[in-house]
Amino acid sequence: MTDRFRSPDDDLRELLDDAVTDVQPREGLSAIRARTEAPTVRPLRPWLLGASAAVVATAATVAAVTLSGSPAPHAGPAVPPSSSPPVPSPSVSSPVTAAAGGALPVYYSGDTTQGPRLFREFHAAVGGTGDRAARSVEESVAGTPLDPDYATLWPAGTHVNHVERSGGTIVVDLGSASLHDRPASMTAAQAGVALQQVVYSVQAAYQQRAPVRFLLDGQVTDQVLGEPTSEPLAQGDAASTLAQVWVIDPSQGARVASGFAVSGLAASFEANVQWELLQGSTVVRHGHTTAAQCCVMAPYSFTVSAPPGTYTLVVHDEDASGAGHPAWQDTKTVTVR
Amino acid sequence: MTLTVWDADEAVAELYGAHYRSLVRLSVLLVRDVGTAEEVVQDAFVAMHGRWGRLRDPEKALAYLRQAVVNRSRSVLRHRGVVERHDARATVAGVVPTTEEAALRHERRARVLDALRELPTRQREVLALRYYLDLSEADIAVSLGISRGAVKSHASRGAAALRSLLEDPS
Repeated sequence: MTDRFRSPDDDLRELLDDAVTDVQPREGLSAIRARTEAPTVRPLRPWLLGASAAVVATAATVAAVTLSGSPAPHAGPAVPPSSSPPVPSPSVSSPVTAAAGGALPVYYSGDTTQGPRLFREFHAAVGGTGDRAARSVEESVAGTPLDPDYATLWPAGTHVNHVERSGGTIVVDLGSASLHDRPASMTAAQAGVALQQVVYSVQAAYQQRAPVRFLLDGQVTDQVLGEPTSEPLAQGDAASTLAQVWVIDPSQGARVASGFAVSGLAASFEANVQWELLQGSTVVRHGHTTAAQCCVMAPYSFTVSAPPGTYTLVVHDEDASGAGHPAWQDTKTVTVR
Repeated sequence: MTLTVWDADEAVAELYGAHYRSLVRLSVLLVRDVGTAEEVVQDAFVAMHGRWGRLRDPEKALAYLRQAVVNRSRSVLRHRGVVERHDARATVAGVVPTTEEAALRHERRARVLDALRELPTRQREVLALRYYLDLSEADIAVSLGISRGAVKSHASRGAAALRSLLEDPS
């Protein structure tokens, strides 16, 4: 023991190194993979999968959801009521309450610091014609989002001819003068997200993560908006396709009671979710909460009490790195009665 | 569209291959229990996967992983009292010493881990980053969000405290 610290630094190095030299961790990659739920894909690219690969990916997804024990967390495709915490919804003017089973899931793109990402809205199912899946896709490509921060990336004039399930594949037939090539005004990232608007919307409507085959006016096509579509597209990885903080309720423009509940989904570091209620640039209220689970889209909720007036509610993740990484955020205009 | 060398899955696979074991060992120095350390490091990789779009660089990702491992290790200690719950002697890598020599070695390692756990959190973290991962003072300062001066003083106090704990056969 007496000669242990002759050269203190080296000895400390050896001591600490030796102290853990027996530690041989068990294999952990499969556990990590199950939780990151990733088909092997590049971000913001179309996720080309053959039918058999897609089956594997779907199975893996199911396994991941089961393992993480969370209620449809990454999910897009889940219909809202079960995946959101059971908070009362005082947002009386919300076009669709979370409890309305007939609501159409509709995905739009919003600009984020990471480029275009998907946000989800629910649109009223009443008044339309055709089946739910076709109407979800129609709303996604040609509808008007409730939140002006979102938009469809599809060119004006895009319409849905037909949507159906065939074997293990969902078929979406779109029509328009020119959807084959990517318009000059559109980036490749936008084109990839545009296709994912359709994939997520139609899979959510069917509540099935089957790969999606795109047709243009009834014909198989090698590309749509310049993105390869010879093979059916799988759902894009949630972490690189979805915006990582969503406000689900209240919806944009909602009129709410003074103590109103806010709920949504967030995938954030340490599950931290922060919020501010703004009037102009003045912070009227602020707070923080945690989502049910870290690092994947998981439900959060909190309650805000504020005097009557119109506000902007901003919900965002925490800058955990301290290195100035930009935050994810979703904003809603709400009026407190 | 930005060209990236790795996507998030590839980044996880590559960094896992290169650093999983050393990150688990780092966490063991901080939390003592191997199972807890594995959980901490897996959580860190999942978080890194979600953040890859903003990291996009293996060096930054590794720095992020280290930081996440240190933060999460601290957080499990604080919230779960992991150190107190686990029997100190029984959990060093689950290794059962089979010979006299191995038993002595096991004892020595356990003493070091015991001594580390006696130290204040910051000192333990600085020692682990400095002497186990061989990080520079500047990198440690960034990882822990403290000044370089603070790193220096935690390092020297921690080293002195560890020495005295190990030399005192209490």
